Amino acid sequence: MKLKSLLTLASLAIGSAGYAQETADAPLQISGSVDTYYKYDFEKRSNIPTYFGSDHNSVSLGMIDLVLKKTTGKASFVGELSFGPRGQYQSIPNSDGGYIEGDGYNSFHIQNLYASYAFTDKFSMTAGYMGTFIGYEVIAPTGNYNYSTSYLFSYGPFQNAGIKGTYAFSSKASLMVGLFNDWNVYSDNNGVSHIGAQLMLSPVEGWTAYLNVLSGKKEFDPGTGTVLDLTTSYQVTENFKIGLNAADYSIDNDGAGAYSGAALYLQNSFTPGFGLGLRGEYFNMKGTGGADDESVTAVTLSGNFKAGGLTFIPEVRFDNGSSEMFAKSNLTPSKSASQFSLALVYAF
Amino acid sequence: MKIWILCSLLLIGASVCNAQDKPLAVDERGKLIYYEVVDCKGLPKDSLFARADAYFKKAGKRFSSEAVVGDSLFESSAKLIIQKTALVMSRPSGEVRYNFYVEVKPEKYRFWFTDFSFIPYQRDRYGNFVPSTTVGTPLESDPGKLNVSEWQSYQKSTAKETGILAAKFKETMANTIPVQLPVKKAEAISTKKW
Repeated sequence: MKLKSLLTLASLAIGSAGYAQETADAPLQISGSVDTYYKYDFEKRSNIPTYFGSDHNSVSLGMIDLVLKKTTGKASFVGELSFGPRGQYQSIPNSDGGYIEGDGYNSFHIQNLYASYAFTDKFSMTAGYMGTFIGYEVIAPTGNYNYSTSYLFSYGPFQNAGIKGTYAFSSKASLMVGLFNDWNVYSDNNGVSHIGAQLMLSPVEGWTAYLNVLSGKKEFDPGTGTVLDLTTSYQVTENFKIGLNAADYSIDNDGAGAYSGAALYLQNSFTPGFGLGLRGEYFNMKGTGGADDESVTAVTLSGNFKAGGLTFIPEVRFDNGSSEMFAKSNLTPSKSASQFSLALVYAF
Repeated sequence: MKIWILCSLLLIGASVCNAQDKPLAVDERGKLIYYEVVDCKGLPKDSLFARADAYFKKAGKRFSSEAVVGDSLFESSAKLIIQKTALVMSRPSGEVRYNFYVEVKPEKYRFWFTDFSFIPYQRDRYGNFVPSTTVGTPLESDPGKLNVSEWQSYQKSTAKETGILAAKFKETMANTIPVQLPVKKAEAISTKKW
């Protein structure tokens, strides 16, 4: 009886596998990632304040990220939910109670929740909650070469809710203009307060540049804040890629949280399964109320070992500040910090 | 008895799946290729040329570039999307770019798909799958021990898709179905103008 059941199941499984290969366009696209890491800070405490991968000497979780996408004719939607520290209490909005929205807690984080309609081949409109168009790095670890994130990423917006229209002049140039809420909120208490635009240029094959601007007055800020951002990458050869992110954020009336900085990314694949990526960053936090600026220089070297959907990322990072912004193991202030981490990221 | 029937079904199912897995051949340059010569007795070169031309015109934007070399050779390039499918789940894992050539002669023609290169997709910040690079890796490259099974699945999918494309192309060339070219809308006559 058991043998018969097994054979029936096997027959059905082979049948469905064969059928699955015939499916050219799935009605619903399901994808995602999971990540986990171990980090060791050489001062034996969590020291570097960039986002995610914060736990010292612990095998810790990143998140499980689930993405649904469906396209019907010219209409499409994307829904992306994440569960785990990277998508919850370490993110924005988060569930640690420090950020109160709605009932004050959430059991997951929406990364993307939007719908789009392509009116023509060249013009489309999108509305909802979307990953920000500012910057080089993203929340999902599958989109980054280095596992730890840059200061530019950490201080910039994560997501923008709003409505935007994108017009493609050609495959080499497009323009997006949109109206957005405050950064990183599902709903905005002070109205749709920001305007943003992105000019995409791809002058030669392999080179893409995004010129971004996002300006508006956040609730409780003393003045209008404006981010000017350049994100560009160039695939020099089959194996070598160079990327650059430069940004300046200013807030009128001496608002706190303004910054400027630049990060250079050099990535080389030595074999199909192994590559190295170096990130060098200079980041300046603008002083307010007469205080001096503080800056930090960070160098991160990451390996990427790939086997199918799995990427293993060993990484070392050295940060050096203009002032004593870090702490030693005995809690005395220090100008420098360094860490080593091992991360596993699986994309499906 | 029932067990034997089930075993037979199992074997048939397995052989149907395998029948779709005819691998691509390798040409004199060491490149993967799908190559076929087709005899068409009694058909002049002009007729075959017109049918091939109609095929490309009907395909429209599917070919990113298309050129006629001399009076007998067509060169074009296109891409196909490799889907990773498991039961109800599906997502694109990358695209394979390729060149497609057709050459006609009196009473025969040949065509070949070659120069396959794979570009992996990665999810962008908006949850869409986009090419992770602009420079493809030749499909005949050695992917290394860790990625061999994934790479072989790309080769198998490419072989299967080119087989389907080849069948459709041969159908057009055999003219068993009438070629329907896009018809231009007739301009309305304005009585306001002389």
